[in-house]
Amino acid sequence: MKILVCIKQVPDMESKFKVDDGGTWYAKTDLAWRMNEYDEYAVEQAVQLKEQVKDADLTVLCIGGDQVKETMKKALAMGCDRGAHVADGDSSGKEPYQIAGIIAEYAKDKNFDLIFTGMQSQDRGSGQVGLLVAEMLGLPGITTVVHFAYKDGVIEAKRELEGGVKACVNVAAPAVITCQLGLNTPRYPTLPNIMKAKKKELLSIPVDDLLKVESRQETARMYFPEKKGGGLVLEGDAAELADQLVKILKEKTAVLG
Amino acid sequence: MEFTREIYWNVGHNAGTLVPMYLFAFTAIGLLVRGFLKRIEIYKQGLPLIRTDQPARRLLHMLGNVLLQKKVARVRWPGLVHGFFFWGFVLLFIGTTLIVVQADFTDLFFDMKFLKGTFYLLFSITLDVAGLVCIFMLGGLLVRRYFFAPEGLETKKDDAIMHGLLLTILCTGFLIEGSRIAVTELGTPLSYWSPMGLLVAKGIAGMGEGGLRAMHKVLWWTHFSLVMSFFTLIPLTKFRHIFTTSTNYFFDDLGPKGKLVNLDLENEEAETFGVTNVKEMTWKDIFDADACTLCMRCQDRCPAFNTDKPLSPMKVVNQLGEVAFTNPEANLVDTFGKDVLWSCTTCRACQEICPAAIEHVKKIIDCRRAMVLMEGEFPGEEVMTAMEATEVNGNPLGIGYAERGDWAAELGIKPLAEDAEVDILYFVGCYGSFDKRNIAVAKSFVGLCQAAGVKVGILGKEEKCCGEPMRKMGNEYLYQTLAMENIEVINSYGVKKIVTTCPHCFNTLEKDYRDLGFAIEVEPYVVFLEKLIASGRLQIDARELSCTYHDSCYLGRHNDLYDAPRALIKAAGGKILEMDKNRAEAFCCSAGGGRILAEEKIGERINVKRVKMAAATGAENLISNCPFCLTMFEDGVKGAEVEDALRPKDIAEILAERVV
Amino acid sequence: MKVLLIAESRDRKLLGSCYELMAFAEKTGAESAMFLVGADTALPKFGGKLYLADPAAAGEYNPDVHKQLILDVVAKEQPDVVAFSHSSYGWDLAPRIAFALQAAQVSEVVEVVDGTMVVPVCNAKLRRDVKVKTGKTVVTLQAGAFGLTEEPNGTPTVEKVNVAGDGKITFTGYEQAESGGVDLAKAKIIVSAGRGIGKPENVSMIAELAKALGGEYGASRPVVDSEWVEHNRQVGTTGQTVAPKLYVACGISGAIQHLAGMKKSEFIVAVNTDKDAPIGDVADVLVVADLKQFVPALTAKIQSL
Repeated sequence: MKILVCIKQVPDMESKFKVDDGGTWYAKTDLAWRMNEYDEYAVEQAVQLKEQVKDADLTVLCIGGDQVKETMKKALAMGCDRGAHVADGDSSGKEPYQIAGIIAEYAKDKNFDLIFTGMQSQDRGSGQVGLLVAEMLGLPGITTVVHFAYKDGVIEAKRELEGGVKACVNVAAPAVITCQLGLNTPRYPTLPNIMKAKKKELLSIPVDDLLKVESRQETARMYFPEKKGGGLVLEGDAAELADQLVKILKEKTAVLG
Repeated sequence: MEFTREIYWNVGHNAGTLVPMYLFAFTAIGLLVRGFLKRIEIYKQGLPLIRTDQPARRLLHMLGNVLLQKKVARVRWPGLVHGFFFWGFVLLFIGTTLIVVQADFTDLFFDMKFLKGTFYLLFSITLDVAGLVCIFMLGGLLVRRYFFAPEGLETKKDDAIMHGLLLTILCTGFLIEGSRIAVTELGTPLSYWSPMGLLVAKGIAGMGEGGLRAMHKVLWWTHFSLVMSFFTLIPLTKFRHIFTTSTNYFFDDLGPKGKLVNLDLENEEAETFGVTNVKEMTWKDIFDADACTLCMRCQDRCPAFNTDKPLSPMKVVNQLGEVAFTNPEANLVDTFGKDVLWSCTTCRACQEICPAAIEHVKKIIDCRRAMVLMEGEFPGEEVMTAMEATEVNGNPLGIGYAERGDWAAELGIKPLAEDAEVDILYFVGCYGSFDKRNIAVAKSFVGLCQAAGVKVGILGKEEKCCGEPMRKMGNEYLYQTLAMENIEVINSYGVKKIVTTCPHCFNTLEKDYRDLGFAIEVEPYVVFLEKLIASGRLQIDARELSCTYHDSCYLGRHNDLYDAPRALIKAAGGKILEMDKNRAEAFCCSAGGGRILAEEKIGERINVKRVKMAAATGAENLISNCPFCLTMFEDGVKGAEVEDALRPKDIAEILAERVV
Repeated sequence: MKVLLIAESRDRKLLGSCYELMAFAEKTGAESAMFLVGADTALPKFGGKLYLADPAAAGEYNPDVHKQLILDVVAKEQPDVVAFSHSSYGWDLAPRIAFALQAAQVSEVVEVVDGTMVVPVCNAKLRRDVKVKTGKTVVTLQAGAFGLTEEPNGTPTVEKVNVAGDGKITFTGYEQAESGGVDLAKAKIIVSAGRGIGKPENVSMIAELAKALGGEYGASRPVVDSEWVEHNRQVGTTGQTVAPKLYVACGISGAIQHLAGMKKSEFIVAVNTDKDAPIGDVADVLVVADLKQFVPALTAKIQSL
């Protein structure tokens, strides 16, 4: 069985963001980088599938500059067999259709049985790449998966809907699965695996070799939203604040009768 | 009259006595040696470890503790009872040896007798007193074990045999002496130099010489046989501690205290990390089990054990021995239990009090390393999250690394990247940089430095967690990664001196980092501030302060810093209402051993228990010197519902309030 | 400009998000038509043309079939924009439509300013204006970002669309959330616990405040994921969307997924130690305090009234 998991390196969301000089994306300085949280679940699920099927080869793909290799090493340490690094110095300048195009171009002749990825990235949050890859490769795709099971070529998945409801679906492989938070518990890489990961194949492919589609949209401007606020800000001693708030609630709402 | 006695009187100094006697003796000693050789085979299952370097220092350490019973006597009454028993026993042993040496060696071959005259008188009375002391002390220990046993003291058949055997040996000794005196010395001035023997003699004189001689002979051989049996039993029972506990001091860890062994992570051949099997422990770890006398002192002081967690340091040590001797293939993590292993706060109360020089903490960390490095297992998801946060942002709190130095901006403190010409590098630590309550302490410390005219620099966003909680949790890889990054950055600035306000950072930089080639001077803030005050550079206006003081584990037991902080509090005008459990007996706040990252899910909350101890002193302020302690106490005063009565504070804060 | 609005229903019940789609059309001044796989007994109050497919035939979840139906309608209506809700339905269907139409997809639109679509970035810390290069555009709208200015009261002109073909993905049923009898959507007062409560033991102080106010307690996703609170108390896009008279958010930073679930509440109080927490943007009152001290104080005050 051949499995592909696509991951993205994103900034840690706790970072203090600034707009870059071009004004169209966030500045890359003073940022801590990590694997997109949704992709962690994808990697874990891919590794679990590999462990279940036993005779499987798992590739992790990531697009970006050299620094994304660190994140790829984590995926390798979690259990991926090899890495495909698409070397791109301007990955954040590309939009989902191009990203999907690159991945589809890479995957098209490789006959993957399953392609896993996170349902969206934490920074851009478009949530499109997974399904676009599916459409480009002519594969069925299932999104927001919170439960995954595989047996004899059939995937049984549960999609997370609003209100805590789940939709149970199944489809025959090959397919694309986009993963939602809580699908599994991503493992902490063990030291022997971290060391083995250093030796696993990690090939870099220049992005121009794989980018065969034009971009369909771009960012005109990136900026900080206006602080709407407008609300009252109260500070001080807890007991006094409680008094103040009760007064306000009595004045402005009918909840305290 | 001549002050001496006939050795082998009544028994006969002839082949009929000597041949069986020496045969028996050699057999017994042979069995003793063989017994230990078999045990040594078991110790050797463990990995090699060099504990024979600096032999003179080691010998002195051993003699000091064995002869002076230093650590044993730390717990006053049972300690001194054992001490006196030990000294009596040693004297009796030396005395008996001298008799044999004279009778079968110096006298036999060289016609030299030394057990005569004044020497013999002193010899005689010393041994009589020693014997009496031994009987009383052993009696006392017996009464304690069988009638007033402290809770949890395990008493086995072994113990009955040991008490019985030694008491019988001691008592037969006096009976033998008494019967000899009754026949040969009654009425002589010499007899007064054996007061106990004389008492016994007077009591049994009525038996008549014939009866006395018969009894004497029987008892002599009985006594001798019992002593030989005692020899053979040494390796087989707790008696072995005579040799194992004493030599364990020779093999003791010469320090620095609490420093863990660096794992060689560059070794590509290594397939396993950490310990799950007895063969991955060192021989010393297995030997520790033999040195243990089950005195329970470690368990009595363990903060985890005393709050209903399943960890007993004594049990861990002994289970390791059991496994080594009876089931060496067993998985140690399963044997000890995961909850047991995760409960340890590395407070060192166990090792500090242990009279057998046992190293408890290392065994626990070794197993944690296996769980983390080989299985990716942690005590809870919250710990894994903290580890991952540290990997991403260099701090377990998950706050953006770029903000690490922001707290200092308003004080005009610059990171070294902007200005490296500083007097000291203040290594702030994660809590001091990001946690609101502890930022206040960092600011207080910097304020004190500025008042003393000391120019302070920080690493700011270049500083990463020192790695201590990660290391203690078993994540050696993450620790070494952080450490090497910190060392590289610090070295690049040509820093001359580092001061820390966190004892965990201090301990790690001062000891653990040295294994990674770090050579810069590090000082804890209490020492640094004390020097500033002593030199007059920092003036403190003493103002009354009702307080009690908590000795943190990592400044206290790990670094023996008990006086400097007290001097600072005194300089501030505080009169400390000391808790019972203070200094080396202080009770951990619960956050050591990496547990600052974990949730406490089992038993009573350790921090609440400690806060209650502090509240019981009646003090208004609970002063500590560690960000973990401060955090635990802020939580603890709420849990103990004494928030209005007891305020947790750091030493830096009370000094900053009083700076002139 | 013409926009095709893709409404949703579940279990043959119309979802209210269709009115947000209509509000988007209103905001952009576009002509609109609507598509819905839903029961003809639950039609939206939409005054335009409604293309209706029977859920019994099309299936509740059948992306291939739904996609084809929509493409058929697109062929008829030739809209410039196809608008979905940024919901699990929209996430799953919009990219397929965009691909088929060779259109750019703009996800999670929060605003339209002078014809430019604005979307959030990095947990809503930033925003960006999007420039689309294709003739057609597919958009998904953030829940609650658009609201009608007046009560809707139209009647749709219904055109039934026929379902043809099958899909590769088989839908086998819904799994309901654990029952617990709590329907936050009906509560008039909700007090929610966020990650800021620190530990599971502190949920009780939130529940107590809710009780004192005569309401229910809820939680943000991280609190539910950590299993400190049951799932049916989760407020947010993947939990419940609520609009009570009073919403008190304790230790909740205001991640977008949570905000989307509660920002229509009538009166919002946020308790947070961070003055700059995004929740401050929607809160009527932001109490900057440690909730562990403030919440019990407030509870005590309310109980004494």
